[in-house]
Amino acid sequence: MTSVLIVDDHAGFRRAARRALEAAGWHVVGEARDGEGGLREAASTAPDVVLLDIQLPDVSGIDVSAQLTAGPDAPAVVLTSTRDPEDVAPLLPRSGAAGFVPKDRLTAEAVGAVARRSLDRPDSSAR
Amino acid sequence: MAVGTDARTGFDSGEPHLQAMLESSLDCVVAIDGHGRIVAWNPAAERTFRRPAADVLLQDMADTIVPPRLRDQHRDGLRRYLSGGAPRVLDQRIETVGVRADGTEFPVELTITRIDVSGEPLFVGYLRDISDRVAAEEELRASRARIVAAADAARRRIERDLHDGAQQRLVSLGLTLRLARDQAAEGEDVTELLDEALEELTETTAELRELARGIHPAVLTEGGLDPAIAALVRRCPVPVHRTAEVGRRLDPAIEATAYFTVAEALTNAAKYADATRIEVDVRCEDGLLGVEIRGDGRGGADPSQGSGLSGIADRASALDGTVAVTTGTGRGTTIRLELPCAS
Repeated sequence: MTSVLIVDDHAGFRRAARRALEAAGWHVVGEARDGEGGLREAASTAPDVVLLDIQLPDVSGIDVSAQLTAGPDAPAVVLTSTRDPEDVAPLLPRSGAAGFVPKDRLTAEAVGAVARRSLDRPDSSAR
Repeated sequence: MAVGTDARTGFDSGEPHLQAMLESSLDCVVAIDGHGRIVAWNPAAERTFRRPAADVLLQDMADTIVPPRLRDQHRDGLRRYLSGGAPRVLDQRIETVGVRADGTEFPVELTITRIDVSGEPLFVGYLRDISDRVAAEEELRASRARIVAAADAARRRIERDLHDGAQQRLVSLGLTLRLARDQAAEGEDVTELLDEALEELTETTAELRELARGIHPAVLTEGGLDPAIAALVRRCPVPVHRTAEVGRRLDPAIEATAYFTVAEALTNAAKYADATRIEVDVRCEDGLLGVEIRGDGRGGADPSQGSGLSGIADRASALDGTVAVTTGTGRGTTIRLELPCAS
């Protein structure tokens, strides 16, 4: 079962995303509403995947993603946002994230497909 | 000083009407000879530079009214011109800086002409203190910059409100409906999910309505100032007493400025000043729209703090109007907006 941490400042989105992922058989190991909480939760829950909002109230989700993917045993980070994918694309390279899923097209399948790019990479340190 | 000149000003005492003209001039009239010495100095120059004629006649002009940092430049220019160089400042209006007796500098508009009446060149400078105009221009520039900054800030705020509010709610709504569809396809009871989706939809609609009203209220566009202020009053948590109404439509820019002044004042009174009673008086008389909001709260509102009141002042200024804030700790706050409005 794939474990996932949801980091987003909007409670309604966290709730809806949790339900969608759990309905597909994912194990939601935690939620955080800001970057600091996300880093803390990731360290304590060691999820396979972190579903991470780009626009967080305290720090940029891009920076959080770069921190999460910097070390060994890094999770696969899937960035999400209501922004247009074309606005997000230039930010992805420095994020270290596996990819991006727009919030309005968020499904467990879409998150899983993006996360697998990182999880299946032979030289990846991700679990 | 030539024979026949007035000992007080240096002007020709044989031409009393000319002397009277120069003495009554509101502009400074200062004449120098070819050595740069002051040979005429009218009362306006005395007032402007705060130096009596007796102190400056036959003194070096550069040392008298030119700021120290510009003196060499002035002397070099005069020397170069008298050696046959092309004139650079003669017969045109230029803006430069003058210095008063106490050393304070101020902007001046200056015109220098050359006259040759006795064989020796004489240069006459006509100067006026343009401090007020320069200050007004600087305030206008600053006001324009604030208006542009306020427009940018408003756009950023709308983007943030849309992103953090309605957009997030609609995304959640989409996820909930998608899940409901999948579960319904499997024959599960999705009533709870649909109820939640409906609640989210209701909240999103209310949030968008609030946002649209903040951008520009439809009631103002459709009904004008009176119903728009009535709507503000109804939503205000503090009792508001209206003492007068406009009774007719005005220019949209005037209506919007008046509306946002009342909105800002009511918000401030209720939110920050703990007012218990507010009076709103909006009337249009003699081509002037007067908007007065009196709150009995804490007082002490500072128009220089925060962008709300200064933004209103900029809007008013752009429409040739004024905003006055009367306040004092414990005495409440009165905000009065006046805008010219065609009768």
